[in-house]
Amino acid sequence: MRSPDTASFRRVPVRPLLAKELREVLNGRALWTMLILLCPLVGYSFFQATSLYGEASAAARDSPAMASGLSPLDGILVPTFGAFYLAVTLLFPFVAIRVLGREKETAALSLLVQLPYRAATLIAAKMAAIAIAWLIALIPALSTLALWEAIGGHLSAPETINLIGGHLLYGLLIGAIALFSAAISESAATAAIITLSFTIGSWVIDFALAGQPGVLGLLSSLSLTQTLRTFEQGLLSTGLVVGLAAAILGFCVLAAIWLHPGVPVRAKLARSLACTGGMAALLVVATQIRLSADLAEDRRNSFPAADQRELAKLNEPLVVTVHLAPEDPRYADLRRNVLAKLERVMPRVNIRLAGGGQTIVGSSTEQSYGEIEYSYSGRSAKSRSTSHREALPVLYELAGRPPPTPIVGEDYPGYPLVAEAQIALPWFFAALPLSIVLAWWWMSRPPPVPISLAQDGGTT
Amino acid sequence: MTVLTAGRTENIAGHPSALMRVAGLSKRYDDQQALADVSFDVPSNEIVGLIGPNGAGKTTLLEAIAGLIPVDSGGVLWRDSTLPVEHRRDSIFFLPDGIRPWQEQHVLHVIEFFAAVYHRPNSVLADTIRLLGLSSVLRKRVDALSKGFCRRLMLALALLTPHSLLLMDEPFDGFDLRQTHEIMNVLRDVALGGRTLVLAIHQLIDAERICNRFVLLADGRVRGNGTLGELRRRTGLVGAGLEDLFLALT
Repeated sequence: MRSPDTASFRRVPVRPLLAKELREVLNGRALWTMLILLCPLVGYSFFQATSLYGEASAAARDSPAMASGLSPLDGILVPTFGAFYLAVTLLFPFVAIRVLGREKETAALSLLVQLPYRAATLIAAKMAAIAIAWLIALIPALSTLALWEAIGGHLSAPETINLIGGHLLYGLLIGAIALFSAAISESAATAAIITLSFTIGSWVIDFALAGQPGVLGLLSSLSLTQTLRTFEQGLLSTGLVVGLAAAILGFCVLAAIWLHPGVPVRAKLARSLACTGGMAALLVVATQIRLSADLAEDRRNSFPAADQRELAKLNEPLVVTVHLAPEDPRYADLRRNVLAKLERVMPRVNIRLAGGGQTIVGSSTEQSYGEIEYSYSGRSAKSRSTSHREALPVLYELAGRPPPTPIVGEDYPGYPLVAEAQIALPWFFAALPLSIVLAWWWMSRPPPVPISLAQDGGTT
Repeated sequence: MTVLTAGRTENIAGHPSALMRVAGLSKRYDDQQALADVSFDVPSNEIVGLIGPNGAGKTTLLEAIAGLIPVDSGGVLWRDSTLPVEHRRDSIFFLPDGIRPWQEQHVLHVIEFFAAVYHRPNSVLADTIRLLGLSSVLRKRVDALSKGFCRRLMLALALLTPHSLLLMDEPFDGFDLRQTHEIMNVLRDVALGGRTLVLAIHQLIDAERICNRFVLLADGRVRGNGTLGELRRRTGLVGAGLEDLFLALT
């Protein structure tokens, strides 16, 4: 039964809560320390990447074929943002944890949960503050883009935005995990250990289990480090975005479930179980979403344009039976060069791994090992090539269509640039850190007190 | 003074029943019974003292009433209706003891935050600051406050809430004698303004000075409950102070 005195709490302003959460992030040391550490980390990565890119460009100056292999996405953006990824993985959890962890340690949480906000609103406000903290932490990485353009480098907006979007989702996922860890821990130190066990544990899983068959392979695909690779290849995968959003939402809901100290642990566990089930269901749905967009300027995730158009017209089911062990490097090549592209362009593609438990050691002596069988329109053909140049003619033959004429002038030209990034060093090692320190000082200044509040009276 | 007035009008005329009734609250931590079937009434506009030595279960009881810890059994009634845990914060505000919230924020921001959440106008905010003498520390960070000013800040936050029932854990902790008297006056005005207070106090002298009613707690059990007169009648100690009554009942 509802209290008779509840009506006046129905309309609660969210803006003061957001402002408070933001102040909590900006008044603490964690974000500013991370920013200062990010400057040399990102700056040196950018400097190194630009130097290496320049060396490769010098070699490719007179060779269009070599030049076409020079993409700023691979050469500059991915290594530079790689340093940012490292910082987000190892340092950002400490920024995110303190958004809730400090309140738990100082018992301020007992005041917060008495305010007329739902637990979901409190967590949403904290996530908003974490997102803003991430955006602030992005400043050093964003400044590398400005520097790259300033020295004459080329940037493709779609692939750059896609990469930053991927990092944003990754940062929010780390933030959500950190919030959940803080919600279930009594101290920030314990929360940090839990969060780092997710992130560093992901590295271990990725390192130890990648390419393994069966359950181990499935486990490795859940690694957090895998999430950025698709974005780094210039691919915007709806399934991945939905999966990441589901994971972020799931951890936020878990954090909300564990936020209130007045709820019995048994009830929290039951709700967590339901939430985890929902999150798992959403992740399964996400794996079934095939919609994606190739945003890489060099269209590395697609076949040549003429082939794309022709293949899109093949409406009958295509079954590809692969006689390779999942850990075989040829399977990885085939997957990247042919199968993933086919899945994206053709409406009905079914890929089967012949003998699910096959391993290289046990199967490589079999005669059929290494064969790839394509079945389309009641006919089938075999190939051993992992290149689209040989696979596509096989497909066209099965479909009874002539190979399309290549479109002239669609080749990626590449963007070689021989440039020195010396300007980056004083910027990242002096000017930017100094600006951050000044911003820190400016943010921590005492607020001006309105005259109406400045006069004392009453008790002394 | 506006700051002392509750957000909603309490009409106690014709309502002889209690504002809040604690009914059979029990809480156990492993092998320790922190609260054992605790029951008592809190009438409107009174200052009820929750009295007991350290470890008697005062803080646990306040947290249980506020819904900040799960209990094993029992509940809270609000004007004779069950008050579910998820709605406790709509009617009751609990001010914990010894906390220093949002330490890296400035005092002004923390106070403004509470005022904004509860739609308190600037005049109420100014009155609260003036009443508790916080003007001089508004530009300080919470972690730079002395214990006394931190306690004043906490009281200011409680006074900014519109709840008709305030639970306060050791509200005089951190104050010297003169300051304690001043804060007592503030709390008396709060009660006169239409709010009900439940104060957990371990200093019996302080409790006797400010409270109208007492709940004597020891080992998680209620040992006595009533006004000073009622407790005297029950013990037969005519003219006894709270200290003697407490010793007689516990």
